[in-house]
Amino acid sequence: MADTTTDKPAAAAEAGGDERLAHRGPIQTLLTRPEIGALMGAVGVWLLFWLVSAPFGTVGGTANFLDVAAYLGLMAVPVALLMIGGEFDLSSGAMTGATALIAILLANDINGAGLGLHIAVPLSLAFALAIGWFNGTLVEKTSLPSFIVTLGTFFMLIGAKLGFSKLFTNKVLVEGLDEAEGYEFWNGIFGAEWLRNSHLWDVRSWSNLWLVRDEMWALLLIGGIAALMVGTFELTYARRPAPNPAAMVVAAAGVVVALVGFISLLAQDGSASNWIGGILVTVGVLAAVAGWCRSRYEAPDRSGRGAQAQWWQYLIGGVAALVVAMVVALAMDATDSSQLGYLGGGIGKFVFALGIAAVGALAVVAALGRVTPGYPVIGAVLVALPAISFLVTVQAARVILFGGLALLGIMLLWSTARRVQPAVWVSLAISLAIVVLAFFIQSESASRKLRVELFTVLLLVALLMAASAVARYLSAIRTAAPPPPQFGRWMQLCGALGVASFVVFAVIELADGDGLLYALLTGAAKGGIVAFVAYAVGTVGRTLMTGDEGVGRALVSVGIGAVLLSVAARLLFVTGSELEKICTVGTDGEMRCPQTQFGVVVLSFLIFAAVGSWLLMRTQFGSWIMAVGGNKDAARSVGVPAARTKTTLFMMVSGAAWITGMLIAFRLTAVQANVGDGNEFRYIIVAVVGGNLLTGGYGSALGAGIGAVIWGMISQGIGFAQWNSDWRFLVLGALLLVAVLVNNYVRGRAEKAPTASGAAKPDRAEIAIVVPSESDSGSKGD
Amino acid sequence: MTDFLELKGISKFYGNIIALTGVTTTVNPGEVTCVLGDNGAGKSTFIKILAGVHQHDAGDLLLEGANVKFASPREALSAGIATVYQDLAMVPLMSVWRNFFLGQEPKTGVWPFRQIDIDKAKMIAKEEMAKMGIDIRDTEQSVGTLSGGERQSVAIARASYFGARVLILDEPTSALGVKQSGVVLRRIVEARDQGLAVIFITHNPNHAYPVGDRFVILQRGQSLGNWAKDELTQSELTQLMAGGAELEELQHELAEAGSS
Repeated sequence: MADTTTDKPAAAAEAGGDERLAHRGPIQTLLTRPEIGALMGAVGVWLLFWLVSAPFGTVGGTANFLDVAAYLGLMAVPVALLMIGGEFDLSSGAMTGATALIAILLANDINGAGLGLHIAVPLSLAFALAIGWFNGTLVEKTSLPSFIVTLGTFFMLIGAKLGFSKLFTNKVLVEGLDEAEGYEFWNGIFGAEWLRNSHLWDVRSWSNLWLVRDEMWALLLIGGIAALMVGTFELTYARRPAPNPAAMVVAAAGVVVALVGFISLLAQDGSASNWIGGILVTVGVLAAVAGWCRSRYEAPDRSGRGAQAQWWQYLIGGVAALVVAMVVALAMDATDSSQLGYLGGGIGKFVFALGIAAVGALAVVAALGRVTPGYPVIGAVLVALPAISFLVTVQAARVILFGGLALLGIMLLWSTARRVQPAVWVSLAISLAIVVLAFFIQSESASRKLRVELFTVLLLVALLMAASAVARYLSAIRTAAPPPPQFGRWMQLCGALGVASFVVFAVIELADGDGLLYALLTGAAKGGIVAFVAYAVGTVGRTLMTGDEGVGRALVSVGIGAVLLSVAARLLFVTGSELEKICTVGTDGEMRCPQTQFGVVVLSFLIFAAVGSWLLMRTQFGSWIMAVGGNKDAARSVGVPAARTKTTLFMMVSGAAWITGMLIAFRLTAVQANVGDGNEFRYIIVAVVGGNLLTGGYGSALGAGIGAVIWGMISQGIGFAQWNSDWRFLVLGALLLVAVLVNNYVRGRAEKAPTASGAAKPDRAEIAIVVPSESDSGSKGD
Repeated sequence: MTDFLELKGISKFYGNIIALTGVTTTVNPGEVTCVLGDNGAGKSTFIKILAGVHQHDAGDLLLEGANVKFASPREALSAGIATVYQDLAMVPLMSVWRNFFLGQEPKTGVWPFRQIDIDKAKMIAKEEMAKMGIDIRDTEQSVGTLSGGERQSVAIARASYFGARVLILDEPTSALGVKQSGVVLRRIVEARDQGLAVIFITHNPNHAYPVGDRFVILQRGQSLGNWAKDELTQSELTQLMAGGAELEELQHELAEAGSS
């Protein structure tokens, strides 16, 4: 009960927490999310193909697999919501084709009476919604399993599609969309494409500004990750009651040193100055972070810690990580090409990639039960590699990889030794040596481009090391959570600002006569930057002024925002130096740039995933979805309109099918009668991979989106890697299985870890737990 | 003084089957009315009539003196009659706070950005549970991880928070162990002391007698009677439950045979 007195109730009570509740840091919270398995799987698959295929990791490759993923994910998100609501819609695949067929058939001149697209397109939407309503109502009224009802609709749709196609056109291919009246208008919406050959700011001379060059995005990313880490600290550790001025001095000195190093890196060129500058930056950042942390956070209280890993587990992990790190270092030493050609055939690369992915995953999993905070940070950074590599070259990313792995190894080994003498500075020094080594390996190159990257790498590794080492030092893990801050208003304000500037920028672009998609994306990017800058500046300012308790959460938000923004900008826009590099000026003075195309489908997919997640997690409707899927009778008896909720879900699925159908139709302008048939199972599979429970009541819309991305990466990546595509489904199936298993395992572990009593309890998490919360019942009685 | 809720000869027929007949009792704030009966006695029909799931076919249901008939659970709910069912109407996979506010989520923001005020919901859920004497560890934990007694408390706290004036508890102790039953009985007393009228459905007279102010006993769809606490002893109650008059008669006969 509440009045249990422990040795440390004061701190917990002051913070407004519950002393029985082990504090759940943001990483622990993330690990209990249903989509974590899919996320880790996605990162693993990305790493695998990134290593074995050069074009896969480029923007072009990304556009390629995102396109495949988007067609799938657009449907998978609403299908996942329906699944969480406890129902299936087997007609969803056939419906995508049906809407396309209806639009083309109605629009075109059949027997001299074409309706035109302005009527046909809305009509096909009405048809889709009607079928969705029909499905939902029938399932509700008859209480038949939706499986049966929609199977009927599925066959009816297939039959009708074929029958009507033959009836009207005498063919199974219905074509001629581009001849229909109103094609231009609708093609501007559903056929829009984004060519990534433009700068975020169109005034080309702006690209000479330092702000819009590569460094801006690199710095944004670095800053974001740093903010994320510090925020994680703030959320995970207890504050010091009184500041520690000595540590603040160290921090300030560190900042100065880092700045000096940074300036020297910018001002001079040459191996020697890179060396010195890099070391200065490293030492500075280390000192700054360590000092800052020491001045703010409590010393560790190890009394409340749960079960620890055995020393030999650390030892094995450390040795394994070091071995992998050495292989990476050798690889970097042996080759300066972008590929790991010396490793021999595909098998060697494959094994190598798997090893790296496994170590990253191990770091995360090891962190789950053991909750030693250094490891989650390392794991997260290893897992964050894809984002980083967007901003730097393959070689530079390898340096990060090497640094991270080496660091992991050292930390694990040091953990073994720590049982004798815990001294954070020794571990810091070792880490520093590793960075110097990594830096030395790459410092041979004096090219300007590489220097920028090296700086990125250096700063990253330094931050990583400092964070993890100091984290260990300050591992007061089970401290109480600070009370949640009231940041809602401020976030809403910035959101509104962002939306407003999005509209303004988009309208300006539209008025310039640019395409709809161009206007939308440019507007979104600029609006996002405005909102982000406002939020970041405001938050940091407020934190400095008031020392607000919510600083951790704010920093995490700022960090996530920065990382996402830099990756999005990198994907969608060409940076200054890239323009100079990849574009050629023709004889006529016109600038020609290679084009990467993003269809409007990708944008729709991203919007769907975001809106779907918001709907599920934050709105009343989302609560109702989970309730009708989890226990319909209970939901109904407390006043949830179950029938309406389910019917709405069915209509959302068929509405999404309409959008997908239109996207397909306007891309191809001609549609086969059987298009989309059979896809419904893919949607369901992808949703399950994303962590959605087949039986309903639990899941994630975002997870379904990630699942779709995994599918897209695998199906395209096999082509990129020039593997025999006959094996595609074998690989797909195996990886899907792995994703689901990891999902179950990780969630089972994470659900266990946070309970204070969990450590003492016999470990029942070993049983794969589909419904973790159910398995606990009774074991936590009051 | 009119009683808050008065039942006069409430009856329910399913075709030619008499599910419930002639139930008469009163329910008042600050009182616990116990409805006892064995399996098939008509207890659940009785609940469903009060909760608005079914409608009575004969008799009068008077709410503050006015004759009413609830057409739906929502109507009963808005009249202040909340039912905590045996299965508790909880979604085990959902968190405590989501269950607490299910169907009546507090919202914030402007449409189309209306969303649940999660911080507020969590805070209220924790506070209301604390009022019931249950200190929930984390309102984010799923209801499936709670013990039976805790779940019962969530349901009761939810009902009382949403303005219930009459709380119907359907067999709240039947699935619980001895110790947890005691906890739930304490909750009933606490709800009563907060001024709620409680209708406590049970088949266990040992649970009913200590907390009840008024007892209705049902047997095969018929009401055996309606007693205030001072008109009945616990052993009489047990006897009535265990076969009622028949058992008494048997005892008398045995006693006579013994004395002669």
